[in-house]
Amino acid sequence: MSPNAALQSDVFRLYLLVVGALLATAGGVLGVLTWGLRKNVQQVWVTYRGWLIMAPAVMGCILVGREATLFGWTLLAIFGMKEFARATGLYTDWWMTGTVYLAIAAISVATLMADPFTGHPGWFGLFMSLPVFVVATILLLPILRNRTQGQLQTISLAIVGFLYIGWMFGHLAFLANSNHPYGYLLYVILAVELSDVAAFTSGKLFGRHQLRSQISPNKTWEGALGALAVSMALPWILGFSFPHFGPVQRVLTGLIVGVGGQLGDLSISVIKRDLGIKDMGAVIPGHGGILDRIDSLIYVAPLFLHMVDYFYGLR
Amino acid sequence: MMMDAWRYDTAQDLDHTLLERLRRCPREPDMLVYGLRALAALGIRAWLRVYHHLKVIGREHLRAEGSYVLVANHASHLDTLSLLSVLPLQKLHRAFPAAAADYFFTSVPRITVAAVIVNALPFDREVHFRQSLALCRALLANQGNILIIFPEGTRSVTGAIGPFKPGVGLLLAGTDVPVLPCHIDGAFEAWPKGRLLPRPGRLRLVIGAPRNYAALPPGKGSALQICHELREAVLDLAAMHRMSR
Repeated sequence: MSPNAALQSDVFRLYLLVVGALLATAGGVLGVLTWGLRKNVQQVWVTYRGWLIMAPAVMGCILVGREATLFGWTLLAIFGMKEFARATGLYTDWWMTGTVYLAIAAISVATLMADPFTGHPGWFGLFMSLPVFVVATILLLPILRNRTQGQLQTISLAIVGFLYIGWMFGHLAFLANSNHPYGYLLYVILAVELSDVAAFTSGKLFGRHQLRSQISPNKTWEGALGALAVSMALPWILGFSFPHFGPVQRVLTGLIVGVGGQLGDLSISVIKRDLGIKDMGAVIPGHGGILDRIDSLIYVAPLFLHMVDYFYGLR
Repeated sequence: MMMDAWRYDTAQDLDHTLLERLRRCPREPDMLVYGLRALAALGIRAWLRVYHHLKVIGREHLRAEGSYVLVANHASHLDTLSLLSVLPLQKLHRAFPAAAADYFFTSVPRITVAAVIVNALPFDREVHFRQSLALCRALLANQGNILIIFPEGTRSVTGAIGPFKPGVGLLLAGTDVPVLPCHIDGAFEAWPKGRLLPRPGRLRLVIGAPRNYAALPPGKGSALQICHELREAVLDLAAMHRMSR
């Protein structure tokens, strides 16, 4: 991955076109709704402005290269972890929070460095075994500090935070080391976000039956089915991302994004409901916190990576 | 059968934007902010020593524990920086210089500097004066907080010590919170109001002995008396250690 390679890659250039066209279309639709039909979509404009900043940022990182993508991922994961820690109260323990930050940095290092056995970029073996060492370190902290009070809670929150925001989400960054970095990375990110938008839109249009009344009262079965339908069609529409995929892999990709994405959304909602908060943060106006934006990606990225690895190998 | 629910210590400012989080007081502890503040403090301390030859007299009056108030004359931004520079680094995050909300908390760069580097407490001099005073009171009720107040209410444009506003008196009357009068000399000459950047010049900070006003009943009368006494104390410190120029 490099600026030259990106600009010469048909996949990257097509994605530039697709993302640009999508943003322009969405802006046009919003414009018609606002000034043509005089609907009140003020809140959607705020969300749209968020996309206008996030989309170029993501495309920019991927354009610059693997290191920039990894750097962007690391910032996102660390500040996502910070949100999780502040929401759950883990943040009151700076040693534990700091340890998880370091563990996330270790994930980036394992993703950045070359595999000492094969010489390929990214040490997959270390990446996959890192949770062992991190959990061992987290368990070690209370022992070193000779503490018991409340430690089970601290340990559990730290492990969940690391596994979820560091390791599972880290699979997204590791896709940069695959032999189709542009196709895989851009497909996963775009498909997940489109499925999210589809869920929102079809939920707004047809939503009648609550999906999980206790967890997220605004989500409906109609929204979920709409998202699934879009997700199942996308592997064919955006098939240029992975021309080597057969029908089985395309169906699996659709299911992983369509079902996994919504499960990721719901699992963050479970956490938020238990904590009694609405959003994980307020850094992105119209979207909430970082975790509210990446929740689906966290769930989808590892499933997609292992599916690809099973059928074709990452390299 | 359900397990007992865990008690989560959720941050109070979760639904605030970054700017709102910096603007509120007291702020939630933040690793990044603490780190930047400590780093900035090291730089500022080096600068005050090298560029301004800051000399401190009466450091022994500072206390290791408990809350207290530092009161000083005000002619320059250097006053706040000098007072902060005598505190131990780990105390920095619990030292709150009261800063005019209408000046320091109006633009993004000023809020950032005031909140991150100085840990300023936004003090509303006009409309929400009572709330600001209540906030100061609440901070002092917690152990280990340091409040820095310039009772003149603004930087002096002549370098002379102006009248003390009664707020500090209202805060201290009838409480056993110690207050340390301080005098800063040389700050006006080095960096007066209206000048963009400081010029080199010696600074001297004298810290007086602690006193408290537990014996006075709360109220306007006591407040005026406290203000008068504190101003006299600051003037005495100035006279006692007149700097030879």
